[in-house]
Amino acid sequence: MDTTLLFQLVLNGLIVGALYGVVAMSFVLIYKASQVVNFAQGEFLLVGAWVCWWMLTTWQLPFWAGFLVTLAFMTLFGILLQIIVLRPLIGEPVISVIMATVGLSIFFQALMKWMFGVFAQPFPPIFTSERMRVMGLEVQTVYIASLGVSALIMLGFWWFFTYSKHGLAMRATAFDQQVAQSLGVSVPKVFAMSWAISAVVSTVAGVVVGVVNGVSSALSFYGIKVFPAVILGGLDSIVGAVLGGLIVGVLENLAQYVDAQWLNWGNMYQIAPFYALILILLIKPYGLFGTRNIERV
Amino acid sequence: MTSMTPAGDFRSSYRADTTIFPTRSSMMATIAGVALLCAAPLVFGRYELGLLITIGFSAIAALGLNILVGFTGQISIGHAAFFGFGAFASALLVEYHVPVPLAIWGAGLMTAVVGLVFGAPAARLKGLYLAIATLAAQFILEDFFARARWFSGGVAGRVTEPYELFGLRLDREETYFYVVLAHVVVMFLAAGNLMRTRDGRALIAVRDHYLSAEMMGVNLAYYRTLSFGIASFFAGVAGALYAHYLLFVSVEAFNILYSIQFLAMIIIGGLGSVMGSMMGAAFMVLLPEVVQAGADLLAGSAIDRTLRLGASISFLREMAIGAAIILFLIFEPDGLAHRWKMIKAYWKLYPFSH
Amino acid sequence: MRLPLPLLAGALLAAAPAFAQAPIPVGHLMDNSGATSDVGVPYGQGVADTLAWVNQTRNGVAGRRLAVSGFDYGYQAPRAVSQYQSWAQRERVVAIQGWGTADTEALVRFVTRDRIPYISGSYSAALTDAGGTSRRQGVEPAPFNFFYGPSYSDALRGMLQWAAEDWRARGQQGRPRYVHMGANHPYPNSPKEAGEALARELGFEVLPAIQFALTPGDYTAQCLTLKNQGANYAYLGNTAGSNISVLRACQTVGVQVQFLGNVWGMDENAMKAAGTAADGVVFPVRTGVVWGGTAPGMETLRAISRVSDQAGTAYRPVHYLAGACAAMLMVEAMETAAANGGQVSGERIRDGFYARRDWVPAGFQGVCTPSTFTAQDHRGTMRVALYRARVTGNTAQGSVQELMTAGTMALQPVANIDLQRRADWLGW
Repeated sequence: MDTTLLFQLVLNGLIVGALYGVVAMSFVLIYKASQVVNFAQGEFLLVGAWVCWWMLTTWQLPFWAGFLVTLAFMTLFGILLQIIVLRPLIGEPVISVIMATVGLSIFFQALMKWMFGVFAQPFPPIFTSERMRVMGLEVQTVYIASLGVSALIMLGFWWFFTYSKHGLAMRATAFDQQVAQSLGVSVPKVFAMSWAISAVVSTVAGVVVGVVNGVSSALSFYGIKVFPAVILGGLDSIVGAVLGGLIVGVLENLAQYVDAQWLNWGNMYQIAPFYALILILLIKPYGLFGTRNIERV
Repeated sequence: MTSMTPAGDFRSSYRADTTIFPTRSSMMATIAGVALLCAAPLVFGRYELGLLITIGFSAIAALGLNILVGFTGQISIGHAAFFGFGAFASALLVEYHVPVPLAIWGAGLMTAVVGLVFGAPAARLKGLYLAIATLAAQFILEDFFARARWFSGGVAGRVTEPYELFGLRLDREETYFYVVLAHVVVMFLAAGNLMRTRDGRALIAVRDHYLSAEMMGVNLAYYRTLSFGIASFFAGVAGALYAHYLLFVSVEAFNILYSIQFLAMIIIGGLGSVMGSMMGAAFMVLLPEVVQAGADLLAGSAIDRTLRLGASISFLREMAIGAAIILFLIFEPDGLAHRWKMIKAYWKLYPFSH
Repeated sequence: MRLPLPLLAGALLAAAPAFAQAPIPVGHLMDNSGATSDVGVPYGQGVADTLAWVNQTRNGVAGRRLAVSGFDYGYQAPRAVSQYQSWAQRERVVAIQGWGTADTEALVRFVTRDRIPYISGSYSAALTDAGGTSRRQGVEPAPFNFFYGPSYSDALRGMLQWAAEDWRARGQQGRPRYVHMGANHPYPNSPKEAGEALARELGFEVLPAIQFALTPGDYTAQCLTLKNQGANYAYLGNTAGSNISVLRACQTVGVQVQFLGNVWGMDENAMKAAGTAADGVVFPVRTGVVWGGTAPGMETLRAISRVSDQAGTAYRPVHYLAGACAAMLMVEAMETAAANGGQVSGERIRDGFYARRDWVPAGFQGVCTPSTFTAQDHRGTMRVALYRARVTGNTAQGSVQELMTAGTMALQPVANIDLQRRADWLGW
């Protein structure tokens, strides 16, 4: 048994898991506010990453400026998407809404390829040193930066949902739409806001992945990765989503370790989170942190 | 999804209320439709027949998914994996010298067993949690196909034999079409019949209000798991038909995108409608062809030249497919089956329809 | 019996003008928008430009223009099948320029049944056993499937032979360690066993394979495993997108290993995306030169390139050249079929592939590697040209073309490996 390797893998799992957590969080946000399962979450990452890449290369903006412009654009993007596509579908069965987001995902996949080409593109270097050493593991600087940004976002969320008026309105809407509406909360506004925030948070993750791997349409696969994370944590728990992301990140890395050291089955890295998902659902049908629905007739 | 029975349609017994075909003329229309389709190979070339075959096996799989989603109210995002399991299982049975006509049904049964296993969590899970569990089934089964060489031939895939009945090789589009048509008729009649039985009504009760259903003495866990089994059976038979059409099965085909296609079929066709599954399958199979035909028309035309579309047409085609799905959901949320009923009602009530 | 001959010739001559007007229908399946479009675009462009060039400069094949029907199937096998049916029925194509694993596998039985030569961009060794003589399990005869270039297995074998020599040349002690990396998927796995078997034969220590998915992701864990195993040579079996992720992750954690790329897994665009992480990767190239190189045939290729780039300045990636060669093999096989007033049918085109030995299309000397096809053996070439990717600076700004001219990116020839045409390697 190789403890240094094991330690490094766990550390890497936590770092990458935090990123999964951010994506999962933005997914849960939409679900919590508007009960929509967003299959186009991966495309949010993709659109954000491409727009930011475009700002930095074609327009030659410095990173901070390009990034801010991207965030502003994505806010608008999220709001428009909600108004044009999702709002007419309010009241339709869950599965129809899911399908609409699938349609969105197909649409934006093609649109991005059309606009930015089919080749993977590298991001310009953002930090002077591309990697740094953390407890014996060489890590891309952008991952560490993303840890900081993620922590800030989470802190922001905590403040937003505990103290701000809009955050409280969102929580009220998530709790009971009709009651919230009768108390004067503008539900459509809350929906639009949740989509905007989700798009912005996803963009942060998208840019990080883009910097690390280069931007290509396959980047949207991160959207699928969040499902185990989200379900592990419970669909309606933001804290759960972050923890779920961390768990999936560590699990992937540990699975790779076990596989490489003893099993040599191959592919455990990719598949282990899904086995864990089924196991956990068998024991706790609402995820680790999800609220149990108590139903009465 | 209220049924549009016109005024003056009195039914005096339960028997009359649970026939497969609501009226005599609808039965005649269906028989005439099948008879007309029998003549299709005389009229159509292999391209159109190929599309009809694809619609046929897709419709069987979609029907299975509709029993699960539309009738029982459980969401599954892993249907293509079960479809694939049927394809591999049939190829495996053929490898052990089971004749193809039997292998197709054997594959259906094998897939049903696997469906029951993966359906087991359904006894406890609801809604989206179940949906994501089936997503896990999708990935786990895909991994299994790639790994289990004895079963699927591994990643290299498996070559299989054409359909053979009484020494006749039905391996051309003109002949294989009848094989698919026969299976479609059998499966659709079976599904129509299922909904008339106690079990079928129990499934619908589970969907409509599972707590009430439980109080009425419907065993929830049993019926939820059962619906997975039935859906998988349909998927398995459809997959086997696919396998003996292409004569080659590879793990690459059965990915999540294909699962989503099946979902799109039933949503567009109409949840909880037997015929809707067929319409939805036809829609999803023909949509890319129609969009492509449109693109071909555009290519080289004045619009193409002025906008310099050229290579962009293929992206526009994909975008059109995505947009078609979204627009459909916004403007036709109850599916094609509902629209069909409206059209029928319109003509029935003409000129007094509002 | 002397009399009918001139009569026959006369009849043929009379029929010739009629033939001359009827174009030859050809299908061209490509992926310009799907999962493999990053390599599908340059390859498909190469094929399309070459066929257009044949029409423009040679007036088609034997005076008959090629009516090329292109179709972008987005790497979705069902669409390839329906398009194939349409071609076979409506256009009655006599040959098809195909593309990847998905469509080639789905259509093997169809093209064999309908006797339509299918020139694929999938180089799976399983397609080479045309006569079914290898009797390998899971390999069936594919007499109408052709491809230009070494099979995936042979390309890997060539790289392993080079690696063994490289190990000795660097004066290293002990047995080198080899590891296969890739997803559990038809494409990366196609050469896996062949590679591992030869590696053992050559004295490598073969480590357990490392898997990573076909999509970009975080593959630090895989790289740490690689580092921990102490591998010396690692084959990257996936397509470019995920290979980039591995290269970058391995650069970050500081893995010292010689990566061996694969035909579709490394090219100029992947080098740009991976940046300096791609520096040093050795990978097989199917042509004698790369763009900007000198060879007698390059003049022809520049002419072909001008079909879609009138200025003549575009940089063409390695796949473009391979696509041109694949298209030319088909064109010359058609010319053989058409020679002496013959009919251009699928079967005769197939026989056209068998007509020459060490076959280089006329005007493509030095570009296309010599190919030899026989009715038993569709391994066109056993020659593997190896190149090393060189990336010395920031690749984010500027196009591939600018980066290649500036020298930030370069392709260095490493070696030409001529493999033995071993009978036990057929179909494997």
